Amino acid sequence: MKTILDKTNGFGDPVGRMTESCHRCCRFVLKIGIFGIPARNSCPEVAEPLGSNLSLPPRLLFLGKTVVNRQLLIGLNCLLLTVSPAVAQERLNLSVDRVVSAIDDRFQQSWQAEQVVPAEVADDAEFIRRLYLDLAGRIPAVSELRAFLADPARDKRAQIVSQLLDSPASVRHFTTVWRNALIPQANSQPEFRGLIPGFQAWLWERISAGQPYDQIVREIITSELNVSNGAALAATTSPDAFFVVRELKPENLAAGTARAFLGVRLDCAQCHDHPFDKWQQQQFWNMAAFYAGFSRPEDADRDTPAMMLSMAENRDARSIRIPGTEDVVPAVFLTGGSPDWNQQPQQTARDVLADWIVDPQNPWFARMAVNRMWAQFFGRGIVDPVDDFSDNNPPSHPEVLDLLADDFVAGGYDLKRLVRVITATRVYQLSSRQTHTSQQDPSHFARAVLRGLSPEQFFDSLAEAVGFYQPYRSDNPFVVDTDSPRAQFLDLFRDSAESSLDRETTILQALAMMNGEFISNATSLNDSQTLKAVIEFPAMTDAQKLETLFLAALSRPPSETEQQRFGEYLSTGGAAGNKQAAMADIFWVLLNSSEFLLNH
Amino acid sequence: MQNHITRRLFSGYSGLSLLGTACSGWLPVLAAQAATSAKPHRRCILLWMSGGPSQMETFDPKPGQENGGPTTAIETSVPGIQISEHLPKLAAMMQHLAPIRSMSTKEGDHTRATYFMHTGYLPQGPIRYPTLGSMLSRELINRECDLPSFVSVNPFRAFSPAAYGPGFLGPSWSPLVVNSQMTGDEQNRDVSFEVSNLKPSEQITEAQSDARLQLLTSLEHDFLSSRPGAPGRSHVESYQQAVRMMKSAAVGAFNLDDEDQTLRDAYGRNPFGQGCLLARRLIENGVSFVEVNLSSADGSGGGAGWDTHADNFEAVGSLCGVLDPAYATLIQDLHQRGLLLDTLVIWMGEFGRTPKINENTGRDHWPKSWSTVLAGAGIQAGQVYGSTSADGMEVESDPVTVQNLMATICQALGIDHETTNLSNVGRPIPLADHGSAPIAELLS
Repeated sequence: MKTILDKTNGFGDPVGRMTESCHRCCRFVLKIGIFGIPARNSCPEVAEPLGSNLSLPPRLLFLGKTVVNRQLLIGLNCLLLTVSPAVAQERLNLSVDRVVSAIDDRFQQSWQAEQVVPAEVADDAEFIRRLYLDLAGRIPAVSELRAFLADPARDKRAQIVSQLLDSPASVRHFTTVWRNALIPQANSQPEFRGLIPGFQAWLWERISAGQPYDQIVREIITSELNVSNGAALAATTSPDAFFVVRELKPENLAAGTARAFLGVRLDCAQCHDHPFDKWQQQQFWNMAAFYAGFSRPEDADRDTPAMMLSMAENRDARSIRIPGTEDVVPAVFLTGGSPDWNQQPQQTARDVLADWIVDPQNPWFARMAVNRMWAQFFGRGIVDPVDDFSDNNPPSHPEVLDLLADDFVAGGYDLKRLVRVITATRVYQLSSRQTHTSQQDPSHFARAVLRGLSPEQFFDSLAEAVGFYQPYRSDNPFVVDTDSPRAQFLDLFRDSAESSLDRETTILQALAMMNGEFISNATSLNDSQTLKAVIEFPAMTDAQKLETLFLAALSRPPSETEQQRFGEYLSTGGAAGNKQAAMADIFWVLLNSSEFLLNH
Repeated sequence: MQNHITRRLFSGYSGLSLLGTACSGWLPVLAAQAATSAKPHRRCILLWMSGGPSQMETFDPKPGQENGGPTTAIETSVPGIQISEHLPKLAAMMQHLAPIRSMSTKEGDHTRATYFMHTGYLPQGPIRYPTLGSMLSRELINRECDLPSFVSVNPFRAFSPAAYGPGFLGPSWSPLVVNSQMTGDEQNRDVSFEVSNLKPSEQITEAQSDARLQLLTSLEHDFLSSRPGAPGRSHVESYQQAVRMMKSAAVGAFNLDDEDQTLRDAYGRNPFGQGCLLARRLIENGVSFVEVNLSSADGSGGGAGWDTHADNFEAVGSLCGVLDPAYATLIQDLHQRGLLLDTLVIWMGEFGRTPKINENTGRDHWPKSWSTVLAGAGIQAGQVYGSTSADGMEVESDPVTVQNLMATICQALGIDHETTNLSNVGRPIPLADHGSAPIAELLS
């Protein structure tokens, strides 16, 4: 196997990239989970670009090679294993364990109080599929699944969480998650689509480096925008898209900042006192005053986008005029206090705002972050909708929210640690199978709910299941491709639902899955990598082949009934009277099932 | 206990069979809804003119005025009403039309105006307003129909994708989007329509296809019966709808080959002309809302041809060459088949054009005084509503807001415009904005 490094490595982790790519091209072997037998010695599909035209520092090159050797040694197990010193790991686990058991206790108490009978704990297969979707953004490969199921270690669930959190797939997945949360406009409004690569690359670097969340947010809010340089703005690795999608307007930035980082919906208060909440119009503009540097001259033509980019920021501005009135209001925090400008003469209003937002004493900042992350794993927040913290919308489990938020602050705003805590809780590890009617109300978190996949999760899982090799240029945040199967599926499956619990399937999506070219190829005997691998593998019995297809698509072996039903279809050759065609039929069925197309 | 639960949960999925429901109807819930709504099945066709058509070269000509340019006016079938020389066939249909010459809005930006005219609301905050087709087809849906209730032909969505989506009503009210294919050479141009992925690949026999669906049904049953939830329900429903459509004879509506050749010629052998014919066929087959877009002189939905900042007169002339026969034949065809009585036909774009002609012989964006046209179901036709000043710069009488136009459209279709839907922010949103009222003079 050759080293595969990306020459555009500014955002690339060469080790991780290689791991991913290896994993893709060795799937013949990996698919059916037989370790140690390389199917081929090189990866023709990724022959370019290679080491010859690298612009990497030697250290990284060396790293890459080291991993290659180790890869071969460990028999092509392509998961990157980063083993930290055992002692440090144990200490970390201990404190995570403490929070987790406190959270488990709270839920236990609330279930008892509400007379809720929680669902069973999910078995390993159910757990690992969910975990891969939630951490790596795709279902596990058959080899990864088999390895996990066979692992006798008692703490294997925690181990796989750590392992996945260090994987490049996880960095990519969470980059997408946060990008969607911070600049949602880039998905819904085509004029902002071009901003995705620069923002994504910027975020990628930070998430990849494990940068604390408070620092990421501070960097966004205080970003030194180069607003006069419109064209470069889109192509630069920077967080500036956060400002551009809000059209560099103080009012949009105030509302967006409050919503994204504090979970406070100020929007209504822009034009009048909030009808259902305590926010007053004046407070809205007090918040907007922190962004007053972006105020536009009265006579600006709002329909000329060029205006937006040729404008300079007045970095001394600290107050703003409420439009349509003569009232000029100063920058005041939502908690009521005013900044002490004399103490911080060097700081701009945005610097001061950032300080206040990420302050551990800020009543919303940490809670909002953990709540958003929680919703990512459960389809609903402890406060739900996630960005609606309000007296009228109390949290379902306030103590759990506090436990998570306190640990998040104490742990230095470490997003990975937060994920470790959430995924270790009993509620996360519950089965989706409903065993009692009391589990129906999702706010009890008494069973895992059905969640729609994001378009990215969906396509990457599909690619995994059918053995579709994704050219790795689609990993490159600077390449906006529009004609790859991935891009086409992302377009077709783009959904505006705010919660994964509300995601709906359209007729066009159903037709594409049933009859579209991609699925036709994936279930055709000539073109499907997975089918070919299964059909052509001589040593497998029919039952084993059936099991492999189930593992590839549904990440679990068939039940006894299914073994019988599908086994019979296979042995009689199905409707076509031909075993291979019957295999294709079964694979088609699995890929079109809601069990495949949903997270559960 | 477990058995009881399983059975109870499963009862919600008793319509689950993908094969069996192809002819027999919907999920029980939906069937129940249909039973309680005894509304007549009115339908709606929206002819959308992307880019903003010039009112002065269509329904509000100003001959002899400086702003009117070279465009002359012609008599119509209704004495006293004149329209532009570019629309002679429509002129003969005037007894079925009700042009509104006094549209007055404030949005002169394509994106915002396209959203406004498609949803009746300005884009604001987090609320995702549904497009007209989603909103109205939800009210008008005919549950007997095997086809989706909302079909959109050649949409040009680039200005504002959100203006074409189901918004907070959810993806199940998305349009089925159909694009045209042009075949043949210039002399023998033909147009066909195809719904993508409607047929399994050729290697798959029907028996195989059915066997697959049967296996899928069993798998879905095992999984979903113990896992209730909206995404699972939606998955099954959309598959049912898709299979129902695949197996239905009604998809024949998309194939224009069996249509009378003279009639096809009359509509115009271009994407818009044939799209109008397709709209009639879909309406006949029970579809509730069809949107057909015209934004290019070749009749296709590409670009924003009506955005005539330069060479307005020539460009609008060619577009009208496509519009006139298609629109007029549609009205006549619907009328002759008795369909016009309960089919509302809306003609509009996102705004009008500046009365003043610019230095490129073009007209720019003008939301202040412009025209739309209503026809058919519930509309008092054969009249012009509202008027503009001689120079076209002002609305002189009966200004019409977007909100009131929406309310009028609802009323014409027999829908209460104050009907609300729960939005994504939990606030009920009426079909037409608060404070709007239908225009009584336009309603029959």
